[in-house]
Amino acid sequence: MAYTPEMKELIKRVEATRPERLARARRGENYPALTMAEREEVLSKYHPDYQSDAKRTVQVGPNKGDTFQEGVARLLESRSIVRPDKVNLSTVDFDTDVLVLGGGGAGTSAAIMASQGGCRVIIATKLRHGDSNTIMAEGGIQGATQECDSPYYHYLDTIGGGHFTNQRDLVAALAHDAPLSIAWLESLGMIFNKLPDGRMDSRHFGGSSRKRMQSAGDMTGAEIMRVIRDEVRNRSNLITTLEFHPAVELLLDEEGKCAGAILMNMETREFSIVRAKAVVIATGGFGRLHIKGFATTNHYGATMDGVVMAYRAGVGNKCLHSTQYHPTGVAYPEQNVGLLITEKVRGLGAHVLNIDGEQFCFPLEPRDVESAELIREAMDVGKGIITPTGRVGLWLDSPMIEELHGPGTVKKELPAKFIQFERHGIDISKEPMLVYPTLHYQNGGINVNGDSETIIPGLYGAGEAIGGVHGENRLMGNSLQDIITFGRRAGRNAASYIQGGVTLKGLTLDHVVKFEKELAEAGIEDPAIAPILLPDYATEEVVERRWTEALTDRAALR
Amino acid sequence: MKISYYPGCTLKSKAANLEAAAVAALATLGIDVEEIDRWNCCGAVFSLTADDLIHQVGPVRNLVRAKEQGATQLVTLCSMCYNTLARANRIMRDDAVKRDTINRFMDEEIDYAGEVEVVHLLTFLEREVGWQKIREKVKVPLEGLRVAPYYGCTLQRPADVGIEPFGSFHLMTGLLEALGATVTPFAAADTCCGSYQVLNGEAGARSTAAVILDNAAASGAEALATSCPLCEYNLGKQQGRLLEAGQITTAVPTFYFTQLLAVALGVAPESCLFDLNSAASLDLLKTKNCLVAA
Amino acid sequence: MCDADNTTTKKTIRVATGDRAILPEGAKTIPIYIMGKKYDVPETLTIMKAMEFAGFKFLRGAGCRGGICGACPTVYRMAGDYKLHYGLACQTVVEANMYLAQIPFFPANRAEYNIEEIGGAAEAIHALYPELFRCVACNLCTKACPMDVDVLGYISALKQGNIKKAAQLSFDCIQCGLCASRCMGEIPQYHIAQLARRVYGRYIQPRAEHLAKRVEEIESGKYDAMLQDLSAMSKEELEKCYVEREREPDMTAPGAWQPKETRYL
Ligand SMILES: Cc1cc2nc3c(=O)[nH]c(=O)nc-3n(C[C@H](O)[C@H](O)[C@H](O)COP(=O)(O)OP(=O)(O)OC[C@H]3O[C@@H](n4cnc5c(N)ncnc54)[C@H](O)[C@@H]3O)c2cc1C
Ligand code: FES
Repeated sequence: MAYTPEMKELIKRVEATRPERLARARRGENYPALTMAEREEVLSKYHPDYQSDAKRTVQVGPNKGDTFQEGVARLLESRSIVRPDKVNLSTVDFDTDVLVLGGGGAGTSAAIMASQGGCRVIIATKLRHGDSNTIMAEGGIQGATQECDSPYYHYLDTIGGGHFTNQRDLVAALAHDAPLSIAWLESLGMIFNKLPDGRMDSRHFGGSSRKRMQSAGDMTGAEIMRVIRDEVRNRSNLITTLEFHPAVELLLDEEGKCAGAILMNMETREFSIVRAKAVVIATGGFGRLHIKGFATTNHYGATMDGVVMAYRAGVGNKCLHSTQYHPTGVAYPEQNVGLLITEKVRGLGAHVLNIDGEQFCFPLEPRDVESAELIREAMDVGKGIITPTGRVGLWLDSPMIEELHGPGTVKKELPAKFIQFERHGIDISKEPMLVYPTLHYQNGGINVNGDSETIIPGLYGAGEAIGGVHGENRLMGNSLQDIITFGRRAGRNAASYIQGGVTLKGLTLDHVVKFEKELAEAGIEDPAIAPILLPDYATEEVVERRWTEALTDRAALR
Repeated sequence: MKISYYPGCTLKSKAANLEAAAVAALATLGIDVEEIDRWNCCGAVFSLTADDLIHQVGPVRNLVRAKEQGATQLVTLCSMCYNTLARANRIMRDDAVKRDTINRFMDEEIDYAGEVEVVHLLTFLEREVGWQKIREKVKVPLEGLRVAPYYGCTLQRPADVGIEPFGSFHLMTGLLEALGATVTPFAAADTCCGSYQVLNGEAGARSTAAVILDNAAASGAEALATSCPLCEYNLGKQQGRLLEAGQITTAVPTFYFTQLLAVALGVAPESCLFDLNSAASLDLLKTKNCLVAA
Repeated sequence: MCDADNTTTKKTIRVATGDRAILPEGAKTIPIYIMGKKYDVPETLTIMKAMEFAGFKFLRGAGCRGGICGACPTVYRMAGDYKLHYGLACQTVVEANMYLAQIPFFPANRAEYNIEEIGGAAEAIHALYPELFRCVACNLCTKACPMDVDVLGYISALKQGNIKKAAQLSFDCIQCGLCASRCMGEIPQYHIAQLARRVYGRYIQPRAEHLAKRVEEIESGKYDAMLQDLSAMSKEELEKCYVEREREPDMTAPGAWQPKETRYL
């Protein structure tokens, strides 16, 4: 759907203020950024995380007493898909050294490193290998590779962006490994945006002190994912990939070491038991929980499974109360709603504007601050633009990029976005985009240390599923880095743990039995069954016509 | 003058010398070679099989590209490319039924009816530049160099696309003479080099090559000129083995006609990529003073 | 709809939340045929959301839902028209009377290789995928590509030995497999393109020298103490360092600027 005539009228207001704004941009002048105190104020008033409605404390498990959004709390207090006492753990279907849960960027790099360490690896993943948040990442990956930069500044930017709530050993690991990760990707044949002499064409991003964002067109995550997946496929002698085979429960051994997982073949609904000397949780984020009804940028399988399974096994989490809303999700056209418009658009100089074409914020604030400022402008100041389907948005003035960097820049720097909008009759090099914050990133996750280890021997975590790297707010480009840094660390450390000699004792699900007992004791009624694996988008009308109440055997219809 | 030009795959890899020399030579003649955009394989042997219309799609698509880009003639160097393109062009021009089928199949492209003329560089040089002009431009005449003009099959067969009538060799002769060389006509000039037979009957192909090379040597030739990478392979690559096996006695260094044109016009030998030739002899050109002074 | 009266922002409207589609008030439905069977769905939805609206739950055939993972290739015809159309279910908007089916998987041969050993020459690619030379330039691959990649173009480039061109032309490939599903030469185009891109990235594109230098510095332990010091600081000290850091100017080229403070580089 191209813009309606009414919207085109409104765009004229944006065009009217553009020359003046361009002149300022050319002089290097920007809308002033907020002070620390102002940041705090706008966050506390307008950021969904800071609002107390729809939040509650959980009553069981390692994070007992902590407060979470309702959707998250419900899954932390959930029951297993299987009845633990009825599962026969004596027939093992697969025996392996390392079991990696999740075929996104973190899991895939862990698998490569574990195989490099001589281990046999199984990657069990929910959808196809690579169907993940990783493949969707557009903007880029951080790494202090330029001379004017260093891991020191990467550390500072990261911890400042996270409001100093980050877990420090994780930040240090990230800043330290980042250039190593990028060099690794380069050696695997990833195509980075480079200047003719090979120098990384790196850019600024929200919250950066140095141009540290390295990218591959606007398909950075896709390029990473394609390359490392291809590398896994070249190692079929050591790595087996099981697609449509999500894990539904972790297995421990009688000594409390992690010892594998139960998988489910989603197509045939058969279960299988994998015994593994080490397990890496790399199951990604939770966007598909649609916290507070927000649209999301995340892939179809982002349902927090790893956090849920680890929680039952006794591994707690941190910062999970904090969700990252990406300030610029698509608000129009309807087909693209929720999808991300990379921060690179603002990095390239596009302004965020209200209905009158006025700037109301510094375009490159940390993401949570930026999101809160957009929500304020639309909801409180009332200067948002209403779409024909009743969504609200603000303008992102992409045509400025053509003026600032030369004609053709939008198509060259943002090819995927350009095509995505062009399909719907909108030329973003000439018309602005309509945007609104969208649920983007699970800031928190399971507790690990700088070596990717959890408190359970043999259980590792990496990627969006872990918490603490970004504190309560993540900077762009740090999670693509996080998945490679901690993915590689998890794979390498799992391999050396196994090389140190691991003998597994009998498999058990006692931790699940114990957890469910706690649930009952806490009086939690009708707990959810999780992991939920996939969201359900059936409409109310369809659900009604499924006659769930009148059915003789509900299970038969699942 | 600008010409639209179709190179062909081999000229971008193994036979880069065929092309490099041509481009350099044409530049000295003030002719600007403009490679058509987005071309694909000429169709090679596929398009020559009898009843498989789909294989004409490849060559025709290149002709469509040329038409789209406003060309009225499309120049090419490799005999095989010339042959397949020219034959596909014939079909599109003369056979209404096949034209219609192919145009319908290629419904993502503009319709094509043979509007672009496919021209081999030899024809082009005679027709649009002229031997006289070339003679005037020669800086290093190939005086005393005796060259056998080798046509192989695809330049002249079938008759309706041949660059000149079967049995006549005046185009290459005219060019070589204009460059100052002595042309040594020989009976095997239009004998097939063995073509793709080399893939499944190497021995047979080799003996064909032996006949051609022997015959050329007997005519007094010191060098052989060709316009086809496959001929170059069969005659050049096999030459060493034939000598070794004693199947032939005299070496006949093999060049692309574009290379001889280029050196005569004073193009530096490095620009002609002689190292890619299988059986060229720079020494020969040097002793005959056919190379521009370094 | 875009009422200049800003109070409309506060009016409560039934809006779609999350990804669940609704039939907005007054919106029209249109008939579509999912694998031949008719369903009435709201206009303007993508095929994916329309199928969910109709009651389907995806297992295969949905991944990123954002046009980049290649899980949802779909073919369709409009009633009465011979033309086959191709698209991504998550990106293509439904039209009345479209007959559609998904092709969530299509088998394609993939050759294993070692990136460390393969080298930058096209011959290695030709050797792994001799079927490359079965291409007859029918162009069905290009027509099928939902990302508008010039598939024939990159296949032609590879036959010509031009890896760089193939890498650039194929860069937007999301490996959905529609090209391979249409190929009469039975070529697994997208696997070959992947190989070409890796070979390009590894052997042909110039390496980043500043990166190699930084790797050396890190491995020599240059930053270990600095990072430890940061981790040991109080929040206030960190905040001070954070606020004081210089910002690289926006319009300078990468590598051109040096900060005043160089102790931590
Ligand atoms: C649209 C978008 C744009 C982004 N842009 C950027 C960016 O520019 N820069 C940046 O740094 N970051 C960006 N991010 C964030 C970043 O991409 C992700 O945080 C990161 O890639 C997560 O990687 P991961 O491997 O941890 O998880 P994922 O890549 O999501 O992979 C998780 C995998 O686990 C599988 N899985 C889930 N549950 C189970 C289970 N129970 N059993 C087995 N497998 C399971 C999933 O199917 C999936 O394959 C972006 C994210 C999105 C969504
Ligand atoms: S679901 Fe990923 S491309 Fe459509």
